[in-house]
Amino acid sequence: MRNVLTIAGKELRSYFVSPMAYVILAFYLGICGLVFALSVSAPQAEADMAGMFHTMVFIALIITPVITMGLLSQEQATGSMELLMTNPVRDAEVVMGKYLGAMGLFVIVLIGTLEFPIMMSRYGEPDWNAILAGYIGVLLAGMAFMAIGLLASSITASQIAAAVIGYVILLFLWLIGWLAYAAGEQVGNVAQHVSILENFQDFAMGIIDSRPIIFFLSLTFFALFVAVRTIENRRTI
Amino acid sequence: MISCEGLTKFYGNHQAIADVDLHVGEGEIVGFLGPNAAGKTTTMRILTSYIPPSAGRAEVAGHDVVTESLDSRRSIGYLPETSTLYRDMRVTQYLRFCAGLRGMGRAETNERLDYVLDICGLQERPDDIIGTLSLGFRQRVGLAQALLHDPPVLILDEPTVGLDPNQIIEVRDLIKSLAGDYTVMLSTHILPEAQMTCERVIIINHGRIIAEDTPQNLTAQIRQAETISITLSDARDDNVERRLLDLSDVVAVRPAGPGTYHVDTAVGSDVRAQVAQFVVERGWGLLELRPVEMTLEDVFRQLTTEEEGVE
Repeated sequence: MRNVLTIAGKELRSYFVSPMAYVILAFYLGICGLVFALSVSAPQAEADMAGMFHTMVFIALIITPVITMGLLSQEQATGSMELLMTNPVRDAEVVMGKYLGAMGLFVIVLIGTLEFPIMMSRYGEPDWNAILAGYIGVLLAGMAFMAIGLLASSITASQIAAAVIGYVILLFLWLIGWLAYAAGEQVGNVAQHVSILENFQDFAMGIIDSRPIIFFLSLTFFALFVAVRTIENRRTI
Repeated sequence: MISCEGLTKFYGNHQAIADVDLHVGEGEIVGFLGPNAAGKTTTMRILTSYIPPSAGRAEVAGHDVVTESLDSRRSIGYLPETSTLYRDMRVTQYLRFCAGLRGMGRAETNERLDYVLDICGLQERPDDIIGTLSLGFRQRVGLAQALLHDPPVLILDEPTVGLDPNQIIEVRDLIKSLAGDYTVMLSTHILPEAQMTCERVIIINHGRIIAEDTPQNLTAQIRQAETISITLSDARDDNVERRLLDLSDVVAVRPAGPGTYHVDTAVGSDVRAQVAQFVVERGWGLLELRPVEMTLEDVFRQLTTEEEGVE
């Protein structure tokens, strides 16, 4: 566990010594702020975050591959992987450390977005339970996104390729929901169940259901598991 | 402290090392010598558990590098060939990160940090960002991290590569000063380096160990002939080679440059006086006559080319 925290701390720090963390924060809070301003300035606007949460989860998808692309590919490209992996650390500890580092940045971004509900509560009476549900949803989705991004970073030494692979997987899981309407009932059902958008829907409306929680957690676990196996496999090449 | 038996590694169909057996005793400094792509780095990567062997087994400090790799990795300080460090970290920050991964406590870390910064000549730049350091200083940071947790075994892959001559001397002195306290295995393709720093040399070529001994013994063992070099100013006579061969005890004569010939004779015979007299009598104008010492370089070339001949 100590190794995990050591690596996580190092990753989180390196986001903040490079422009990365600030660019991500500015981009995320900027877009969300714009959407927030537009939604509350509409006539008869309600103190409701449902629309905001959809924006937050989609922008989270956009920033994820940028955050995660370097985590493992850069180590492989520069060769620093060799020094890291010849330390007495388990492969899983390396992957978990990197993952927690990326999640750390994401949580900091989410803390930044708390300004929106706080502002809302000054002028109206938002439903705090619904907001909590929404944040849990964004956090869970973010966990799955980061795990998928990290998986993409584990399979290639090129950061660009890692980012592209990350976008392809994430956008596929996002857009597959559309298939639900186009395809027949059976395929449509499956598509609906594995769609990020469909699974997020409940959270945005303030409903905490076990099915989407299990969906996001298993997606996270699966992606991290494959990332660990990819790193283990690299040793046998 | 280090031992391998039948170590073999395939990358796809390419066999990088074949049946490597080697043993390094406690406190020994052993040079691992070979041309580029001979299998030095592969062997070291297996010893440090970075990659697993395809066959055979290896132990470091009594721990199997595959089944007990966390224990074996704990007892190794490793300087990879391209010691790529995190460029955005500061020197001590990086070393503290390494200390964390090696389970060192705070007090131990501070104590060792002072020691390695001092011994590696980094005490004046502990807070420099690694990316801004010169190659030589980065190499020192690499050495510092290898020594940080006071490991019994040091595995150094080409520790002097990329350094300027002064730095090379410093690093060699540093390595020599570690003798006795540490078991050191260092790879190099620079022969004088092995001759200067190592007590024992293991020569590897095409993935196989082809010789293993002290530098002195190796040169002696390989020496099948005494060689003298003569330089003539006036050797218009085309038959210099054949005429010299007529002398008793001369085994072979090879041209070695304009007017220069290498004369091989049977081991133990000294033909210098005889050759000198012969040359002077012919009026060939003797400019120089000297015995040729065999260096590790010759041994190496001879061994590695013999190996190619077998294939």
